[in-house]
Amino acid sequence: MSEPQASPPTPPETPPPGDPVAMPPVANLEFKALLLLVFMTVLVVGSALYLLYARGAFEATQKLVLLSDDSEGVVVGMDMTFAGFPIGRVRRIELAEDGKARIIVDVPTKDAHWLRTSSVFTLVRGLVGSTNIRAYTGMLKDPLLPDGAVREVLRGDTGAEVPKLVAAAKELLENLNTLTASEGAIGTSMGNLQKLTERLNGPGGALNVLLGNDAEAKKLIATLDRTNALLTKLDGLAAKTDTQVFGANGVMPEARATVVQLNTLLGEARTSLKKVDAVLVDAQAVGANARAATDDLGALRAEVESSLRKVDGLINEINRKWPFARDTEIKLP
Amino acid sequence: MISLSGRQGTLAEINHKARNWLVGWWRLVHLGALILVLALSPSSYGSDNRRVLARHIYLNTAPNLLGFTLMCALITVVITRIVIVTALSYGLSQYALQVVIRVLVLELIPLTAAMFVALRCAIASGVELSQLRQQGTLDALQRRGLDPIRQEVLPRVTAGIFSTVTLAALSCVVALVMAYLASYGFTLSGVAVYTRLFGQVFNPDVTLIFVLKTLFFSLAVSLIPMASALYDAAEQRFRVSAELRMLVRMFAVILVIEVVSLVGNYY
Repeated sequence: MSEPQASPPTPPETPPPGDPVAMPPVANLEFKALLLLVFMTVLVVGSALYLLYARGAFEATQKLVLLSDDSEGVVVGMDMTFAGFPIGRVRRIELAEDGKARIIVDVPTKDAHWLRTSSVFTLVRGLVGSTNIRAYTGMLKDPLLPDGAVREVLRGDTGAEVPKLVAAAKELLENLNTLTASEGAIGTSMGNLQKLTERLNGPGGALNVLLGNDAEAKKLIATLDRTNALLTKLDGLAAKTDTQVFGANGVMPEARATVVQLNTLLGEARTSLKKVDAVLVDAQAVGANARAATDDLGALRAEVESSLRKVDGLINEINRKWPFARDTEIKLP
Repeated sequence: MISLSGRQGTLAEINHKARNWLVGWWRLVHLGALILVLALSPSSYGSDNRRVLARHIYLNTAPNLLGFTLMCALITVVITRIVIVTALSYGLSQYALQVVIRVLVLELIPLTAAMFVALRCAIASGVELSQLRQQGTLDALQRRGLDPIRQEVLPRVTAGIFSTVTLAALSCVVALVMAYLASYGFTLSGVAVYTRLFGQVFNPDVTLIFVLKTLFFSLAVSLIPMASALYDAAEQRFRVSAELRMLVRMFAVILVIEVVSLVGNYY
Protein backbone atom coordinates (compact mmCIF):
# COMPACT_ATOMS: atom_id res chain seq x y z
CA MET A 1 0.00 0.00 0.00
CA SER A 2 1.38 3.45 -0.86
CA GLU A 3 2.01 6.09 1.74
CA PRO A 4 0.53 9.46 0.83
CA GLN A 5 2.51 12.49 1.98
CA ALA A 6 1.62 13.70 5.47
CA SER A 7 -0.40 16.91 5.63
CA PRO A 8 -1.11 19.10 8.66
CA PRO A 9 -3.46 17.12 10.96
CA THR A 10 -6.88 18.68 11.20
CA PRO A 11 -9.86 17.09 12.89
CA PRO A 12 -12.37 15.98 10.27
CA GLU A 13 -15.47 18.05 10.53
CA THR A 14 -17.39 16.23 7.82
CA PRO A 15 -18.64 12.69 8.26
CA PRO A 16 -16.22 9.90 7.17
CA PRO A 17 -15.98 9.44 3.44
CA GLY A 18 -17.99 6.64 1.94
CA ASP A 19 -20.93 7.62 4.08
CA PRO A 20 -23.93 8.18 1.88
CA VAL A 21 -24.97 11.15 4.00
CA ALA A 22 -21.87 13.06 2.84
CA MET A 23 -22.93 12.81 -0.79
CA PRO A 24 -26.12 13.92 -2.45
CA PRO A 25 -28.72 11.16 -2.13
CA VAL A 26 -29.66 9.25 -5.32
CA ALA A 27 -32.86 7.27 -5.44
CA ASN A 28 -32.49 3.61 -6.48
CA LEU A 29 -28.79 4.17 -6.79
CA GLU A 30 -27.70 0.58 -7.18
CA PHE A 31 -30.42 -0.18 -9.69
CA LYS A 32 -29.45 2.82 -11.81
CA ALA A 33 -25.78 1.92 -11.62
CA LEU A 34 -26.64 -1.65 -12.61
CA LEU A 35 -28.67 -0.29 -15.48
CA LEU A 36 -25.71 1.75 -16.63
CA LEU A 37 -23.49 -1.29 -16.39
CA VAL A 38 -25.92 -3.35 -18.42
CA PHE A 39 -26.26 -0.51 -20.93
CA MET A 40 -22.52 -0.27 -21.38
CA THR A 41 -22.20 -4.03 -21.69
CA VAL A 42 -24.95 -4.13 -24.28
CA LEU A 43 -23.27 -1.30 -26.17
CA VAL A 44 -19.88 -2.96 -26.20
CA VAL A 45 -21.15 -6.46 -26.95
CA GLY A 46 -23.56 -5.17 -29.58
CA SER A 47 -20.79 -3.21 -31.26
CA ALA A 48 -18.57 -6.26 -31.25
CA LEU A 49 -21.30 -8.41 -32.78
CA TYR A 50 -22.05 -5.77 -35.41
CA LEU A 51 -18.38 -5.61 -36.25
CA LEU A 52 -18.20 -9.38 -36.60
CA TYR A 53 -21.28 -9.31 -38.81
CA ALA A 54 -19.78 -6.50 -40.91
CA ARG A 55 -16.60 -8.55 -41.36
CA GLY A 56 -18.63 -11.52 -42.53
CA ALA A 57 -18.02 -13.81 -39.60
CA PHE A 58 -21.58 -15.15 -39.64
CA GLU A 59 -22.09 -15.85 -43.33
CA ALA A 60 -21.36 -19.10 -45.14
CA THR A 61 -18.73 -18.64 -47.80
CA GLN A 62 -16.93 -20.56 -50.47
CA LYS A 63 -13.34 -20.14 -51.45
CA LEU A 64 -12.05 -18.71 -54.68
CA VAL A 65 -8.34 -18.58 -55.44
CA LEU A 66 -7.08 -15.97 -57.90
CA LEU A 67 -3.59 -16.26 -59.33
CA SER A 68 -1.71 -13.14 -60.34
CA ASP A 69 1.84 -12.20 -61.27
CA ASP A 70 1.68 -9.20 -58.98
CA SER A 71 -0.64 -8.61 -56.07
CA GLU A 72 0.54 -5.10 -55.30
CA GLY A 73 -2.33 -2.96 -54.11
CA VAL A 74 -4.40 -5.92 -52.93
CA VAL A 75 -5.07 -5.81 -49.19
CA VAL A 76 -6.80 -8.26 -46.93
CA GLY A 77 -10.43 -7.28 -46.48
CA MET A 78 -10.88 -5.55 -49.82
CA ASP A 79 -13.92 -6.38 -51.90
CA MET A 80 -14.34 -8.28 -55.12
CA THR A 81 -17.17 -6.68 -57.06
CA PHE A 82 -19.59 -7.92 -59.67
CA ALA A 83 -21.48 -5.26 -61.63
CA GLY A 84 -20.46 -2.77 -58.95
CA PHE A 85 -21.77 -4.87 -56.06
CA PRO A 86 -19.34 -6.43 -53.59
CA ILE A 87 -19.72 -10.21 -53.70
CA GLY A 88 -16.47 -11.35 -52.14
CA ARG A 89 -13.79 -10.36 -49.69
CA VAL A 90 -10.06 -11.02 -49.79
CA ARG A 91 -9.21 -13.22 -46.85
CA ARG A 92 -5.56 -13.94 -47.43
CA ILE A 93 -2.74 -13.20 -49.85
CA GLU A 94 0.13 -15.62 -50.14
CA LEU A 95 2.97 -16.57 -52.45
CA ALA A 96 2.66 -19.82 -54.37
CA GLU A 97 5.55 -22.14 -55.09
CA ASP A 98 5.78 -20.97 -58.68
CA GLY A 99 6.24 -17.37 -57.55
CA LYS A 100 2.72 -16.25 -58.37
CA ALA A 101 0.54 -14.48 -55.88
CA ARG A 102 -2.45 -16.39 -54.60
CA ILE A 103 -5.34 -14.21 -53.58
CA ILE A 104 -7.86 -16.17 -51.54
CA VAL A 105 -11.31 -14.66 -51.74
CA ASP A 106 -14.29 -15.62 -49.61
CA VAL A 107 -17.51 -15.46 -51.59
CA PRO A 108 -20.75 -15.66 -49.61
CA THR A 109 -22.83 -18.62 -50.67
CA LYS A 110 -25.78 -16.38 -51.40
CA ASP A 111 -23.74 -14.46 -53.98
CA ALA A 112 -21.82 -17.42 -55.40
CA HIS A 113 -24.41 -17.99 -58.13
CA TRP A 114 -23.12 -14.90 -59.95
CA LEU A 115 -19.84 -16.70 -60.59
CA ARG A 116 -19.75 -19.34 -63.31
CA THR A 117 -17.03 -21.50 -64.79
CA SER A 118 -16.68 -19.03 -67.65
CA SER A 119 -16.37 -15.98 -65.38
CA VAL A 120 -13.43 -13.67 -65.92
CA PHE A 121 -11.62 -11.91 -63.09
CA THR A 122 -9.62 -8.69 -63.41
CA LEU A 123 -7.25 -6.88 -61.11
CA VAL A 124 -7.16 -3.23 -62.06
CA ARG A 125 -4.95 -0.63 -60.52
CA GLY A 126 -5.58 2.94 -61.58
CA LEU A 127 -3.45 5.99 -61.10
CA VAL A 128 -5.76 7.36 -58.41
CA GLY A 129 -7.55 5.19 -55.91
CA SER A 130 -7.13 1.66 -54.71
CA THR A 131 -6.83 -1.56 -56.63
CA ASN A 132 -10.07 -3.20 -57.72
CA ILE A 133 -10.84 -6.86 -58.18
CA ARG A 134 -13.80 -7.36 -60.50
CA ALA A 135 -15.65 -10.40 -61.76
CA TYR A 136 -17.41 -10.59 -65.11
CA THR A 137 -19.81 -13.32 -66.12
CA GLY A 138 -21.06 -13.36 -69.68
CA MET A 139 -22.95 -16.64 -69.68
CA LEU A 140 -25.11 -16.93 -66.60
CA LYS A 141 -26.35 -20.33 -67.73
CA ASP A 142 -22.92 -21.91 -67.50
CA PRO A 143 -22.14 -24.28 -64.61
CA LEU A 144 -21.55 -22.70 -61.20
CA LEU A 145 -18.02 -21.97 -60.12
CA PRO A 146 -17.06 -24.75 -57.70
CA ASP A 147 -15.76 -24.17 -54.20
CA GLY A 148 -11.99 -23.81 -54.14
CA ALA A 149 -11.77 -22.95 -57.85
CA VAL A 150 -8.46 -21.51 -59.02
CA ARG A 151 -8.51 -18.85 -61.72
CA GLU A 152 -5.96 -16.60 -63.36
CA VAL A 153 -6.72 -12.95 -62.90
CA LEU A 154 -6.19 -10.45 -65.71
CA ARG A 155 -4.07 -7.61 -64.47
CA GLY A 156 -4.16 -3.98 -65.56
CA ASP A 157 -1.92 -1.40 -64.03
CA THR A 158 -2.11 2.16 -65.28
CA GLY A 159 0.72 3.12 -63.02
CA ALA A 160 3.03 0.57 -64.64
CA GLU A 161 2.38 2.18 -68.02
CA VAL A 162 3.54 5.53 -66.73
CA PRO A 163 7.27 4.71 -66.85
CA LYS A 164 6.88 3.50 -70.42
CA LEU A 165 4.95 6.65 -71.25
CA VAL A 166 7.56 8.78 -69.59
CA ALA A 167 10.35 7.00 -71.47
CA ALA A 168 8.53 7.47 -74.78
CA ALA A 169 7.86 11.10 -73.98
CA LYS A 170 11.50 11.58 -73.05
CA GLU A 171 12.62 10.09 -76.33
CA LEU A 172 10.16 12.28 -78.20
CA LEU A 173 11.44 15.35 -76.40
CA GLU A 174 15.02 14.44 -77.22
CA ASN A 175 14.07 14.07 -80.88
CA LEU A 176 12.25 17.37 -80.79
CA ASN A 177 15.26 19.01 -79.19
CA THR A 178 17.47 17.62 -81.90
CA LEU A 179 15.09 18.84 -84.56
CA THR A 180 14.65 22.29 -83.10
CA ALA A 181 18.30 22.86 -82.20
CA SER A 182 20.00 25.72 -83.97
CA GLU A 183 21.95 23.28 -86.15
CA GLY A 184 18.99 20.94 -86.51
CA ALA A 185 16.86 20.27 -89.53
CA ILE A 186 14.11 22.68 -88.54
CA GLY A 187 16.59 25.41 -87.71
CA THR A 188 18.32 25.03 -91.05
CA SER A 189 14.97 24.92 -92.84
CA MET A 190 13.80 28.04 -91.07
CA GLY A 191 17.04 29.78 -92.01
CA ASN A 192 16.55 28.83 -95.63
CA LEU A 193 12.94 29.95 -95.43
CA GLN A 194 14.08 33.27 -94.07
CA LYS A 195 16.52 33.71 -96.96
CA LEU A 196 13.77 32.77 -99.37
CA THR A 197 11.46 35.33 -97.81
CA GLU A 198 14.16 37.99 -98.07
CA ARG A 199 14.67 37.18 -101.71
CA LEU A 200 10.93 37.18 -102.29
CA ASN A 201 10.75 40.63 -100.76
CA GLY A 202 13.74 41.71 -102.86
CA PRO A 203 13.64 43.53 -106.17
CA GLY A 204 13.42 40.33 -108.27
CA GLY A 205 10.61 38.81 -106.25
CA ALA A 206 9.38 35.30 -106.94
CA LEU A 207 10.85 35.29 -110.43
CA ASN A 208 14.34 35.82 -109.08
CA VAL A 209 13.75 32.92 -106.63
CA LEU A 210 12.48 30.62 -109.37
CA LEU A 211 15.26 31.32 -111.84
CA GLY A 212 18.09 31.76 -109.43
CA ASN A 213 19.62 35.04 -110.72
CA ASP A 214 18.76 38.40 -112.23
CA ALA A 215 20.15 37.63 -115.74
CA GLU A 216 17.83 34.72 -116.27
CA ALA A 217 14.94 36.75 -114.96
CA LYS A 218 15.70 39.53 -117.41
CA LYS A 219 15.84 37.00 -120.22
CA LEU A 220 12.48 35.65 -119.22
CA ILE A 221 11.04 39.14 -119.10
CA ALA A 222 12.49 39.91 -122.53
CA THR A 223 11.00 36.69 -123.81
CA LEU A 224 7.67 37.68 -122.40
CA ASP A 225 7.92 41.08 -124.04
CA ARG A 226 8.64 39.51 -127.40
CA THR A 227 5.85 37.08 -126.89
CA ASN A 228 3.54 40.00 -126.23
CA ALA A 229 4.68 41.67 -129.43
CA LEU A 230 4.16 38.45 -131.35
CA LEU A 231 0.72 38.10 -129.94
CA THR A 232 -0.05 41.63 -130.98
CA LYS A 233 1.01 40.83 -134.51
CA LEU A 234 -0.98 37.65 -134.47
CA ASP A 235 -3.98 39.66 -133.40
CA GLY A 236 -3.56 41.86 -136.44
CA LEU A 237 -3.06 38.82 -138.65
CA ALA A 238 -6.13 37.24 -137.25
CA ALA A 239 -8.14 40.34 -137.97
CA LYS A 240 -6.95 40.40 -141.54
CA THR A 241 -7.51 36.69 -141.93
CA ASP A 242 -10.97 37.17 -140.62
CA THR A 243 -11.65 39.76 -143.25
CA GLN A 244 -10.11 37.63 -145.98
CA VAL A 245 -11.95 34.52 -145.05
CA PHE A 246 -15.26 35.77 -143.72
CA GLY A 247 -15.47 39.20 -145.33
CA ALA A 248 -17.92 40.17 -148.11
CA ASN A 249 -15.29 39.39 -150.73
CA GLY A 250 -13.63 36.67 -148.79
CA VAL A 251 -12.97 33.00 -149.34
CA MET A 252 -16.01 31.74 -147.59
CA PRO A 253 -18.66 33.37 -149.81
CA GLU A 254 -16.84 32.14 -152.93
CA ALA A 255 -16.48 28.72 -151.44
CA ARG A 256 -20.18 28.79 -150.73
CA ALA A 257 -20.89 29.69 -154.38
CA THR A 258 -18.55 26.91 -155.47
CA VAL A 259 -20.39 24.49 -153.33
CA VAL A 260 -23.67 25.56 -154.91
CA GLN A 261 -22.22 24.95 -158.37
CA LEU A 262 -20.87 21.60 -157.28
CA ASN A 263 -24.29 20.67 -156.04
CA THR A 264 -25.70 21.50 -159.45
CA LEU A 265 -23.01 19.47 -161.18
CA LEU A 266 -23.56 16.60 -158.85
CA GLY A 267 -27.24 16.65 -159.72
CA GLU A 268 -26.44 16.48 -163.38
CA ALA A 269 -23.90 13.77 -162.76
CA ARG A 270 -26.53 11.85 -160.88
CA THR A 271 -28.83 12.02 -163.88
CA SER A 272 -26.07 10.87 -166.21
CA LEU A 273 -25.22 8.03 -163.91
CA LYS A 274 -28.79 6.91 -163.98
CA LYS A 275 -28.58 6.66 -167.72
CA VAL A 276 -25.33 4.80 -167.46
CA ASP A 277 -27.05 2.44 -165.09
CA ALA A 278 -29.61 1.67 -167.77
CA VAL A 279 -26.84 1.07 -170.31
CA LEU A 280 -25.06 -1.12 -167.94
CA VAL A 281 -28.18 -3.12 -167.38
CA ASP A 282 -28.39 -3.67 -171.17
CA ALA A 283 -24.70 -4.49 -171.25
CA GLN A 284 -25.26 -6.92 -168.47
CA ALA A 285 -27.95 -8.58 -170.47
CA VAL A 286 -25.65 -8.70 -173.46
CA GLY A 287 -22.98 -10.08 -171.30
CA ALA A 288 -25.29 -12.72 -170.00
CA ASN A 289 -26.22 -13.67 -173.55
CA ALA A 290 -22.56 -13.69 -174.47
CA ARG A 291 -21.84 -15.89 -171.53
CA ALA A 292 -24.51 -18.24 -172.59
CA ALA A 293 -23.16 -18.13 -176.12
CA THR A 294 -19.71 -18.72 -174.80
CA ASP A 295 -20.95 -21.68 -172.92
CA ASP A 296 -22.58 -22.91 -176.09
CA LEU A 297 -19.42 -22.10 -178.02
CA GLY A 298 -17.48 -24.15 -175.59
CA ALA A 299 -19.71 -27.10 -176.12
CA LEU A 300 -19.60 -26.49 -179.83
CA ARG A 301 -15.85 -26.29 -179.71
CA ALA A 302 -15.66 -29.52 -177.81
CA GLU A 303 -17.89 -31.16 -180.42
CA VAL A 304 -15.80 -29.66 -183.21
CA GLU A 305 -12.62 -30.90 -181.61
CA SER A 306 -14.10 -34.29 -181.19
CA SER A 307 -15.18 -34.32 -184.79
CA LEU A 308 -11.79 -33.10 -185.96
CA ARG A 309 -10.16 -35.76 -183.89
CA LYS A 310 -12.32 -38.32 -185.49
CA VAL A 311 -11.55 -36.87 -188.92
CA ASP A 312 -7.88 -36.91 -188.13
CA GLY A 313 -8.07 -40.43 -187.00
CA LEU A 314 -9.94 -41.32 -190.15
CA ILE A 315 -7.37 -39.58 -192.29
CA ASN A 316 -4.58 -41.39 -190.53
CA GLU A 317 -6.36 -44.66 -191.11
CA ILE A 318 -6.79 -43.80 -194.70
CA ASN A 319 -3.15 -42.75 -195.02
CA ARG A 320 -2.07 -46.06 -193.47
CA LYS A 321 -4.18 -47.98 -195.70
CA TRP A 322 -3.64 -45.79 -198.78
CA PRO A 323 -0.17 -45.84 -200.33
CA PHE A 324 -0.38 -42.30 -201.52
CA ALA A 325 1.37 -41.01 -198.40
CA ARG A 326 3.88 -38.28 -199.09
CA ASP A 327 6.81 -37.03 -197.16
CA THR A 328 5.83 -33.59 -196.03
CA GLU A 329 9.13 -32.56 -194.53
CA ILE A 330 10.75 -29.61 -196.10
CA LYS A 331 14.46 -29.95 -196.33
CA LEU A 332 16.24 -26.70 -196.27
CA PRO A 333 19.49 -26.21 -198.03
CA MET B 1 34.78 30.10 -6.17
CA ILE B 2 31.45 31.84 -6.33
CA SER B 3 30.86 30.70 -9.94
CA LEU B 4 31.83 27.11 -9.04
CA SER B 5 29.40 27.02 -6.14
CA GLY B 6 26.73 28.64 -8.37
CA ARG B 7 27.30 25.96 -11.01
CA GLN B 8 27.11 23.22 -8.38
CA GLY B 9 23.89 24.69 -7.05
CA THR B 10 22.40 24.75 -10.55
CA LEU B 11 23.39 21.13 -11.17
CA ALA B 12 21.92 20.12 -7.82
CA GLU B 13 18.67 21.87 -8.65
CA ILE B 14 18.50 20.20 -12.07
CA ASN B 15 19.21 16.87 -10.43
CA HIS B 16 16.50 17.50 -7.87
CA LYS B 17 13.95 18.47 -10.54
CA ALA B 18 14.80 15.43 -12.68
CA ARG B 19 14.50 13.16 -9.67
CA ASN B 20 11.13 14.69 -8.76
CA TRP B 21 9.97 14.30 -12.33
CA LEU B 22 10.94 10.65 -12.48
CA VAL B 23 9.52 10.00 -9.04
CA GLY B 24 6.21 11.61 -10.10
CA TRP B 25 5.90 9.34 -13.11
CA TRP B 26 6.89 6.32 -11.10
CA ARG B 27 4.23 7.07 -8.52
CA LEU B 28 1.65 7.33 -11.29
CA VAL B 29 2.57 3.92 -12.69
CA HIS B 30 2.68 2.46 -9.19
CA LEU B 31 -0.78 3.83 -8.41
CA GLY B 32 -2.08 2.37 -11.68
CA ALA B 33 -0.76 -1.05 -10.74
CA LEU B 34 -2.31 -0.75 -7.28
CA ILE B 35 -5.68 0.23 -8.71
CA LEU B 36 -5.54 -2.65 -11.17
CA VAL B 37 -4.86 -5.16 -8.44
CA LEU B 38 -7.60 -3.73 -6.25
CA ALA B 39 -10.06 -3.69 -9.16
CA LEU B 40 -9.43 -7.35 -9.85
CA SER B 41 -9.79 -8.31 -6.20
CA PRO B 42 -13.28 -9.55 -5.26
CA SER B 43 -12.81 -8.14 -1.77
CA SER B 44 -12.95 -4.66 -3.24
CA TYR B 45 -16.63 -5.15 -4.02
CA GLY B 46 -18.11 -5.58 -0.56
CA SER B 47 -21.54 -4.12 0.11
CA ASP B 48 -20.22 -0.76 1.37
CA ASN B 49 -17.75 -0.47 -1.41
CA ARG B 50 -20.41 -1.40 -3.96
CA ARG B 51 -22.62 1.45 -2.82
CA VAL B 52 -19.78 3.94 -3.06
CA LEU B 53 -18.74 2.56 -6.44
CA ALA B 54 -22.31 2.66 -7.74
CA ARG B 55 -22.67 6.26 -6.60
CA HIS B 56 -19.50 7.39 -8.33
CA ILE B 57 -20.33 5.47 -11.50
CA TYR B 58 -23.80 6.93 -11.67
CA LEU B 59 -22.75 10.51 -10.81
CA ASN B 60 -19.86 10.47 -13.27
CA THR B 61 -21.79 8.95 -16.16
CA ALA B 62 -25.52 9.59 -16.13
CA PRO B 63 -25.50 13.42 -16.14
CA ASN B 64 -23.09 13.49 -19.07
CA LEU B 65 -24.74 10.94 -21.32
CA LEU B 66 -27.43 13.04 -22.94
CA GLY B 67 -25.41 16.21 -23.37
CA PHE B 68 -22.35 14.51 -24.78
CA THR B 69 -24.42 12.31 -27.07
CA LEU B 70 -26.28 15.27 -28.51
CA MET B 71 -23.06 17.18 -28.99
CA CYS B 72 -21.49 14.24 -30.80
CA ALA B 73 -24.55 13.80 -32.97
CA LEU B 74 -24.48 17.43 -34.01
CA ILE B 75 -20.76 17.46 -34.71
CA THR B 76 -21.08 14.22 -36.68
CA VAL B 77 -23.81 15.57 -38.92
CA VAL B 78 -21.88 18.76 -39.62
CA ILE B 79 -18.57 17.04 -40.28
CA THR B 80 -20.18 14.33 -42.40
CA ARG B 81 -21.91 16.89 -44.54
CA ILE B 82 -18.73 18.90 -45.01
CA VAL B 83 -16.70 15.84 -45.94
CA ILE B 84 -19.32 14.50 -48.36
CA VAL B 85 -19.79 17.82 -50.14
CA THR B 86 -16.04 18.34 -50.41
CA ALA B 87 -15.45 14.81 -51.66
CA LEU B 88 -18.23 15.21 -54.25
CA SER B 89 -16.63 18.35 -55.61
CA TYR B 90 -13.38 16.45 -56.17
CA GLY B 91 -15.10 13.37 -57.57
CA LEU B 92 -14.03 11.27 -54.59
CA SER B 93 -17.44 10.62 -53.04
CA GLN B 94 -16.72 6.91 -52.75
CA TYR B 95 -14.14 7.68 -50.07
CA ALA B 96 -16.18 10.19 -48.06
CA LEU B 97 -17.84 7.77 -45.67
CA GLN B 98 -14.60 5.95 -45.05
CA VAL B 99 -12.94 9.25 -44.13
CA VAL B 100 -15.81 10.11 -41.80
CA ILE B 101 -15.61 6.77 -40.01
CA ARG B 102 -11.85 6.91 -39.68
CA VAL B 103 -11.71 10.50 -38.51
CA LEU B 104 -14.74 10.60 -36.25
CA VAL B 105 -15.24 7.15 -34.84
CA LEU B 106 -11.63 6.04 -34.72
CA GLU B 107 -9.90 9.23 -33.67
CA LEU B 108 -12.05 12.16 -32.60
CA ILE B 109 -14.75 10.55 -30.48
CA PRO B 110 -12.55 8.56 -28.07
CA LEU B 111 -10.34 11.60 -27.58
CA THR B 112 -13.32 13.90 -27.06
CA ALA B 113 -14.98 11.47 -24.65
CA ALA B 114 -11.78 11.23 -22.60
CA MET B 115 -11.35 15.01 -22.49
CA PHE B 116 -14.99 15.45 -21.58
CA VAL B 117 -14.77 13.02 -18.70
CA ALA B 118 -11.49 14.56 -17.62
CA LEU B 119 -12.90 18.08 -17.50
CA ARG B 120 -16.31 17.23 -16.10
CA CYS B 121 -15.58 14.42 -13.68
CA ALA B 122 -12.02 13.31 -13.23
CA ILE B 123 -10.50 16.66 -12.35
CA ALA B 124 -13.32 17.33 -9.91
CA SER B 125 -12.72 13.92 -8.36
CA GLY B 126 -9.05 14.78 -8.05
CA VAL B 127 -9.89 18.04 -6.32
CA GLU B 128 -12.22 16.19 -3.92
CA LEU B 129 -9.50 13.70 -3.12
CA SER B 130 -6.99 16.45 -2.58
CA GLN B 131 -9.37 18.14 -0.15
CA LEU B 132 -9.92 14.88 1.68
CA ARG B 133 -6.18 14.46 2.02
CA GLN B 134 -5.73 17.99 3.23
CA GLN B 135 -8.53 17.54 5.73
CA GLY B 136 -6.81 14.42 7.07
CA THR B 137 -9.69 12.17 6.13
CA LEU B 138 -7.43 9.71 4.41
CA ASP B 139 -5.24 9.49 7.50
CA ALA B 140 -8.33 8.97 9.62
CA LEU B 141 -9.37 6.09 7.38
CA GLN B 142 -5.98 4.58 7.72
CA ARG B 143 -6.12 4.89 11.47
CA ARG B 144 -9.48 3.11 11.41
CA GLY B 145 -7.86 0.24 9.55
CA LEU B 146 -9.39 1.03 6.18
CA ASP B 147 -7.40 1.36 3.01
CA PRO B 148 -7.93 4.90 1.70
CA ILE B 149 -6.92 3.78 -1.80
CA ARG B 150 -9.62 1.14 -1.86
CA GLN B 151 -12.19 3.36 -0.16
CA GLU B 152 -11.68 6.62 -2.02
CA VAL B 153 -9.40 6.24 -5.00
CA LEU B 154 -10.61 2.97 -6.51
CA PRO B 155 -14.27 4.06 -6.86
CA ARG B 156 -13.29 7.33 -8.47
CA VAL B 157 -10.85 5.72 -10.91
CA THR B 158 -13.31 2.96 -11.77
CA ALA B 159 -16.08 5.51 -12.31
CA GLY B 160 -13.79 7.55 -14.55
CA ILE B 161 -12.88 4.53 -16.64
CA PHE B 162 -16.47 3.41 -16.85
CA SER B 163 -17.68 6.86 -17.80
CA THR B 164 -15.04 7.26 -20.52
CA VAL B 165 -15.72 3.87 -22.05
CA THR B 166 -19.49 4.32 -21.94
CA LEU B 167 -19.41 7.80 -23.43
CA ALA B 168 -16.99 6.67 -26.13
CA ALA B 169 -19.06 3.58 -27.02
CA LEU B 170 -22.36 5.43 -27.06
CA SER B 171 -20.96 8.33 -29.04
CA CYS B 172 -19.38 6.02 -31.57
CA VAL B 173 -22.69 4.27 -32.12
CA VAL B 174 -24.53 7.58 -32.41
CA ALA B 175 -21.87 8.92 -34.78
CA LEU B 176 -22.17 5.87 -37.02
CA VAL B 177 -25.93 6.22 -37.13
CA MET B 178 -25.82 9.96 -37.80
CA ALA B 179 -23.20 9.52 -40.53
CA TYR B 180 -25.43 6.96 -42.22
CA LEU B 181 -28.46 9.22 -41.99
CA ALA B 182 -26.51 12.20 -43.26
CA SER B 183 -25.33 10.18 -46.27
CA TYR B 184 -28.30 8.01 -47.19
CA GLY B 185 -31.21 9.64 -45.40
CA PHE B 186 -34.01 7.77 -43.67
CA THR B 187 -33.81 4.66 -45.82
CA LEU B 188 -32.50 1.17 -45.34
CA SER B 189 -31.14 0.80 -48.86
CA GLY B 190 -27.60 1.75 -47.89
CA VAL B 191 -27.31 -0.42 -44.79
CA ALA B 192 -25.57 -3.31 -46.54
CA VAL B 193 -22.98 -1.07 -48.21
CA TYR B 194 -22.47 0.94 -45.05
CA THR B 195 -22.03 -2.18 -42.96
CA ARG B 196 -19.50 -3.55 -45.41
CA LEU B 197 -17.58 -0.27 -45.36
CA PHE B 198 -17.58 -0.32 -41.58
CA GLY B 199 -16.22 -3.85 -41.64
CA GLN B 200 -13.48 -2.81 -44.04
CA VAL B 201 -12.38 0.10 -41.85
CA PHE B 202 -12.42 -1.89 -38.63
CA ASN B 203 -10.04 -4.66 -39.49
CA PRO B 204 -8.54 -6.63 -36.55
CA ASP B 205 -5.49 -4.35 -36.20
CA VAL B 206 -7.51 -1.16 -36.23
CA THR B 207 -10.08 -2.59 -33.84
CA LEU B 208 -7.41 -3.64 -31.36
CA ILE B 209 -5.73 -0.25 -31.50
CA PHE B 210 -9.10 1.47 -31.05
CA VAL B 211 -9.98 -0.59 -27.98
CA LEU B 212 -6.57 -0.16 -26.41
CA LYS B 213 -6.56 3.56 -27.13
CA THR B 214 -9.93 4.03 -25.46
CA LEU B 215 -8.82 2.03 -22.43
CA PHE B 216 -5.57 3.93 -22.06
CA PHE B 217 -7.38 7.23 -22.47
CA SER B 218 -9.77 6.23 -19.70
CA LEU B 219 -6.89 5.17 -17.49
CA ALA B 220 -5.03 8.39 -18.13
CA VAL B 221 -7.94 10.73 -17.35
CA SER B 222 -8.88 8.72 -14.27
CA LEU B 223 -5.49 7.99 -12.73
CA ILE B 224 -3.54 11.17 -13.28
CA PRO B 225 -5.87 13.44 -11.24
CA MET B 226 -5.85 10.84 -8.46
CA ALA B 227 -2.09 10.58 -8.49
CA SER B 228 -1.79 14.35 -8.44
CA ALA B 229 -4.20 14.59 -5.52
CA LEU B 230 -2.40 11.91 -3.54
CA TYR B 231 1.22 12.74 -4.20
CA ASP B 232 1.67 16.31 -5.46
CA ALA B 233 2.75 18.77 -2.79
CA ALA B 234 1.33 22.30 -2.98
CA GLU B 235 4.73 23.88 -2.39
CA GLN B 236 5.11 27.60 -2.72
CA ARG B 237 8.28 27.37 -4.76
CA PHE B 238 6.43 25.90 -7.74
CA ARG B 239 5.30 28.55 -10.18
CA VAL B 240 2.14 26.71 -11.26
CA SER B 241 -0.51 25.05 -9.17
CA ALA B 242 -0.72 21.32 -8.75
CA GLU B 243 -3.90 21.21 -10.84
CA LEU B 244 -2.21 22.85 -13.76
CA ARG B 245 0.72 20.45 -13.54
CA MET B 246 -1.76 17.61 -13.46
CA LEU B 247 -3.51 18.95 -16.55
CA VAL B 248 -0.24 19.29 -18.42
CA ARG B 249 0.75 15.76 -17.49
CA MET B 250 -2.66 14.44 -18.54
CA PHE B 251 -2.58 16.17 -21.90
CA ALA B 252 0.95 14.95 -22.51
CA VAL B 253 -0.06 11.36 -21.83
CA ILE B 254 -3.15 11.68 -24.01
CA LEU B 255 -1.04 13.12 -26.80
CA VAL B 256 1.46 10.28 -26.58
CA ILE B 257 -1.32 7.69 -26.66
CA GLU B 258 -2.89 9.37 -29.68
CA VAL B 259 0.39 9.56 -31.56
CA VAL B 260 1.20 5.93 -30.86
CA SER B 261 -2.26 4.87 -32.06
CA LEU B 262 -1.85 6.92 -35.24
CA VAL B 263 1.53 5.32 -35.87
CA GLY B 264 0.01 1.91 -35.30
CA ASN B 265 -2.86 2.58 -37.71
CA TYR B 266 -1.18 4.41 -40.52
CA TYR B 267 2.54 3.77 -40.45
